[in-house]
Amino acid sequence: MPTDASAGKPYYRPEDISGNDYATDLNDPGAYPYTRGRRTQPRHDANAWILQELSGEGSPAHSNRQFRDLIARGAAGLDVIGDAPSVGCLDPDHPFARAAVGTQGVSICRLQDFLELYDGIPLDRITLSHSLPSWFTIAGLYLLARNHEVAPGALRGSVIQTPLYAEDYCYAVHMPVELRLRLTLDSIEFCTREMPRFHSFVEDTYFVSDGGPGAVDEMALGFVEIRKVVRELMKRGLDIDSFGPRIAILVNCRMGFFEEIAKIRASRRIFARMMREEFGAKDSRSWSANITAHTAGSALTAQQPVNNVVRGAVQAVALALAGVQAMEISTFDEAYRTPSREAHLLALRTQQIIGLETDCTKVADPLGGSYYVESLTNMMERDIADRVHEIEAIGDAVDLSNRGYFRRLLEQAMITRAAEIQNGSVAKVGVNVCQIPEEEDTMLREVVETKIEPSLDHIERIREFKRTRDHERVRNTLTELRSRAADHKASLMEPVITALQADATLGEVSGAMRMAYGMQYDPLSGTPAPF
Amino acid sequence: MEAEIRNGNRVRVLIAILGLDQHETGALAVSAMLRDAGVEVIYLGRFASPESVAAAAVEESADVVGISCHSWEYIHYLDDLLRALERGGERIPLMIGGSVISPSDKARLLEKGVSAVFGAGASSDDIVATVRKLAEARDS
Repeated sequence: MPTDASAGKPYYRPEDISGNDYATDLNDPGAYPYTRGRRTQPRHDANAWILQELSGEGSPAHSNRQFRDLIARGAAGLDVIGDAPSVGCLDPDHPFARAAVGTQGVSICRLQDFLELYDGIPLDRITLSHSLPSWFTIAGLYLLARNHEVAPGALRGSVIQTPLYAEDYCYAVHMPVELRLRLTLDSIEFCTREMPRFHSFVEDTYFVSDGGPGAVDEMALGFVEIRKVVRELMKRGLDIDSFGPRIAILVNCRMGFFEEIAKIRASRRIFARMMREEFGAKDSRSWSANITAHTAGSALTAQQPVNNVVRGAVQAVALALAGVQAMEISTFDEAYRTPSREAHLLALRTQQIIGLETDCTKVADPLGGSYYVESLTNMMERDIADRVHEIEAIGDAVDLSNRGYFRRLLEQAMITRAAEIQNGSVAKVGVNVCQIPEEEDTMLREVVETKIEPSLDHIERIREFKRTRDHERVRNTLTELRSRAADHKASLMEPVITALQADATLGEVSGAMRMAYGMQYDPLSGTPAPF
Repeated sequence: MEAEIRNGNRVRVLIAILGLDQHETGALAVSAMLRDAGVEVIYLGRFASPESVAAAAVEESADVVGISCHSWEYIHYLDDLLRALERGGERIPLMIGGSVISPSDKARLLEKGVSAVFGAGASSDDIVATVRKLAEARDS
């Protein structure tokens, strides 16, 4: 169901889009303002978009086996997600981590983990996307490439940047917004020099909207963050075209089929005009947004999980028609767990069926020119732009974060979305309509209810590793990092890389930086700094 | 709402999420639904431990403790939490809710001593009525 741009007309006519000028508002696919997509020529083959699925489970070595399995079945990319401790910048031996190590993603905290995670994975052929702390990922991949004698500059792939909203919504890293933003800027700047082919800035509007804001606020929050980061990078003296081509947007795709297509088309147009006209980008690659997408996990239900297969397919068709560069389908077991092997296969096959058996990918932007879709695209563009303007008029994004503005907005959106399902104003098959008795809801139950046990042996490995490394070297690099972090002009990437090379861990490196910002080393359990 | 008043005070429920589970929609939605029904909600939020939940429940004189879960971490904390909620031979009633809880999980949790369990699709009427019943049972 559309959530934001409810259309309100029984059908659409030529006059609904009479204000559109083909050359300036639409143009051909592959041409400014890229409303109709980035590519002139569609691809009707296994590479119509990068096929990927959410990956990572247990230890790095265990995840490596899962990756090989996915690649063997046709995945062209991996979307690696960290477990709850890794995403929160905590080590597996943290007191809070014991129940969560490896259960909802891969446990990764040190250089050795990167080596084990990507052992034997063709780094030049497989696109590596990451939902992990950006600076840690970039440092780890940089060292991994050097270790394998691959030039870091040849690395492809991407990482999400979440400076403004992480703490308020699902990705808390227990750091102040000033430090989060600095790490975002430092890591993007580092990549312009050292890893220029890597998409160091994926604006993740998926996580910030799933279960919360609708399509308009999703993109408005995304553009507020993009604009803040771009302005700050330009303030540092960076040429916009040094990082502009490496900005991607990871969007959500819910059940509002046409609304989501219109949202993607409108976002490409907004991005192009913003980059060229407002920020002065000259390289055409900086104008065309790279769009990657996940189908909405929150659209999936715990009841009758087999229905989620259908939801994933419908959403994936929307993404194929919108023309995205990469796609991931949230799997049918999403309400219970990260993807099982069975669910992974089905999601990959869904993408392959749409890409290879249907004619969705035979022409670029097949819906272009539809009175309804063009009208909805215009509406989305206007609503998103108005909302960005409204938020920016209230204040600077960092101040708004500190004042709790985003937290209140996201909280309210979560409550509203949940209430819509509870009161039945949004239909959810199997939940508030078309229910069946619990005892009849048996299909796929065995798969969805299989639990992933915490990787307790991995915790032991990390403990042993910490006992046996060169303690003085670790202490020295962390002390140096802390003092560099206290100097707000210094770049943090080099001391982070040096610390990881010296066997310091994600939790320790994060703790050292927290302390430089007046926080506790370990804000959750109060463990003192080991250096 | 008269039914939510006991001893002249409103029913008080503490809502928390244990461990590193960061999914908050369920906890916030249930909090809003209880507040709408006249229940006083103390929202402890994310990153709670059995100890912090129990300490807050005592300090805030909570009648009922509600744990929202979107991961399996609650299983690991359950025994400690049940123990921590015991004071002077009495235990503050514990309810657990979340879409990850399957019907077979529900039976196991009730057996262990959890007072009420809500899986996916629990209705707000059910949740409010259960809170009221648990609070009243403590009074009698």
